[in-house]
Amino acid sequence: MHNVWLIARREYMERVRTKGFLLATILIPCAMAALIAGSSYLMARTKTNSHIAIVTSDKQLGEDLKSKLENGKHSEMQVDLWKPSEMSRASLNAQLHNSGSKLAGYLWIAEPTQAGARPTFEYHARSAGDVSTEDSIESSVDAVVSREGLLKRGLSAQEIDTITAPVDIDTSSSGNMRVAFFVAYFFFFLMYMVIMLYGMNTARSIIEEKTSRVFEVLLATITPDQLLAGKILGVGAVGLTQILVWMVAALVLASTPYAAGLMGGGAAQAPVSVAQTLYFLLYFVFGFLLYSSIAASLGAMTNSEQELQQLNLFLVVPLAFCMVMVFTIVKAPDSVLARVVSLIPFCSPLLMNFRTSLTYVAPWEIVLSIVLMTLTILGVIWVSSRIYRVGILMYGKKPNLPEILRWLRYS
Amino acid sequence: MPIVELQNIRKVYDTKVAVEGLSLAIEPGTMFGLLGPNGSGKTSTIRMMIGMTVPDSGSVRLFGQPFQRSLLGRVGYLPEERGLYKKMKVLDQLVFLGQLHGLDETTARKRALGWCERMEIVEAIGKKTEELSKGMQQKIQFIAALLHEPELIIMDEPFSGLDPVNAELLMRTLIELRSDGKAVLFSTHRMDQVEKLCDAIAIIYRGRLVLSGSMREVKGRYTRNRVQAVFTGSDAFLRHPSVLQANNYAGVAEITLTASEQAQEVLAAAIANGTQFQRFEVIEPTLEDIFIETVKATAEYAEDGGRVDA
Repeated sequence: MHNVWLIARREYMERVRTKGFLLATILIPCAMAALIAGSSYLMARTKTNSHIAIVTSDKQLGEDLKSKLENGKHSEMQVDLWKPSEMSRASLNAQLHNSGSKLAGYLWIAEPTQAGARPTFEYHARSAGDVSTEDSIESSVDAVVSREGLLKRGLSAQEIDTITAPVDIDTSSSGNMRVAFFVAYFFFFLMYMVIMLYGMNTARSIIEEKTSRVFEVLLATITPDQLLAGKILGVGAVGLTQILVWMVAALVLASTPYAAGLMGGGAAQAPVSVAQTLYFLLYFVFGFLLYSSIAASLGAMTNSEQELQQLNLFLVVPLAFCMVMVFTIVKAPDSVLARVVSLIPFCSPLLMNFRTSLTYVAPWEIVLSIVLMTLTILGVIWVSSRIYRVGILMYGKKPNLPEILRWLRYS
Repeated sequence: MPIVELQNIRKVYDTKVAVEGLSLAIEPGTMFGLLGPNGSGKTSTIRMMIGMTVPDSGSVRLFGQPFQRSLLGRVGYLPEERGLYKKMKVLDQLVFLGQLHGLDETTARKRALGWCERMEIVEAIGKKTEELSKGMQQKIQFIAALLHEPELIIMDEPFSGLDPVNAELLMRTLIELRSDGKAVLFSTHRMDQVEKLCDAIAIIYRGRLVLSGSMREVKGRYTRNRVQAVFTGSDAFLRHPSVLQANNYAGVAEITLTASEQAQEVLAAAIANGTQFQRFEVIEPTLEDIFIETVKATAEYAEDGGRVDA
């Protein structure tokens, strides 16, 4: 155990002292802050503010649409009303093709050919890709036309308002679902990112001894599994340190009134429960150890970074599988499939944690998942340490599968 | 009680036999040379001594006990392929390696500084390993193997890549360690070094022990029937009946006699004939001669098509 500690401490100290670590630790929260500030700035500006023209002979319809588009929930457009005529069509077309003009498009409303039928709507846009303007127009037209239809059928304006008022579903009994969902998602991606980032670091640090040929000195006093375990813990501690720094930075950021305003009033009370945070930490540690030990076995099999890149796949595929399963689990977190999949050791860290934040998970499931993960970690380290020792001492080359199987039987 | 005792060890990798039926013993206070051409099984043998690999059959005993990892704290090992952490400072590195060998930090630091002084690399202490020359790195590795004051020092090709001045320093240090009663084992394929340093040797060829014993014993087994002569005047003595074979390189002759006691007779005959000698020396067979002769005598050598890359 003392040797594992020595290896881990050296790994930690050497990594934390590098400029790269310092830069990443400082720059990533800065980038995070910049991203939040940038997106909030953009969010404030995402109301559609294009300039369009509406051509109609129905004055009432035109005015209603105009007011809806200019002061709507999602749009702050500038709307001109035109009377239909060949001249106005020609003039509008000319404006659309003139790059100096700000006109984004025009909506041509033709009177219904039969009485009682709906008018036809035709939108001519400058750019076919201006989807948000098109969407705003469509939803406004929908609203206005149905309102007019209702008015014609004799309902009062007040009655119409009551009917069309948006429904607010109360979900407070099961907690704020939306927030819970986003928090679960956030944790999922955080874990995914960190595993990808630091898993590969573990593999690299194991190759380090091979390329610098230090392993032979080390193996004269310690065993390969001590070396691998020390490496996994050392690199893991670096990852945890960095995440803690970021978490603190994030908390500081979140406590500023700026961020609170951004999230809206609903997020003012803590969106993350204590249990959720504890589960996250628990599964984070296990997920990290598990994926690091897989990465360690990849490092044990290879002798250079290039070879390692080719085996990257083994780390990515289980993670990608979890990503796919997330969608199934979101819909039915208590289904048999979800329960089975979240017990697979390679998926537990991501999926079991995800489930705990969506639904009630029986304690035995959590205990079982942790037992399975622990066994897997020990097994993977055992296998990799054999591959490591036999591989470097005998050949110094990348083994193929039958060779690996044969090596496992060597003493 | 021998420090190292290998009994009939055998190691096979896949189909290649690395070591076969090898037995040897190293006594305390000896300088032991493990000789053999490249790929003959020297490194495999050493790795089995320190438990990096386990022999398929046979037994390894260290310090009179069957091998166990806890005994490794009393062994210092310098591997053939040198390696240090490139980005680490020299002192940190030595302290780390010392701690891995069971020293506490203070002792490791103190001894590391002492050794740096002894090996004349004080100026390197604060530098990163990658900034140092190859020779310096090798000295650091040498120190790393000795920090914990091992009773058995195993060095795989310790002199390769060192300049003569540093090789001399290293040899001197090894001799001092031997006089302190430690057992030193080193492997090499450079025979001239072994001749000066070793008390005992073992020659292995293709995984088998072909010759072993104390230096005196080994050399005694071979007759002193060779003469080197530097002369002027008649070279008639080269055709004396006791001369088996002679090469004359313009006044420097290498002579092989039929028997070692014939030397005086040949010399007397030559002087009587008026030949003047600057030098007439009966020489021992060099270890290199013995090595080549021994290897050539093995069955494997014939199999190999008569090549030795010593």
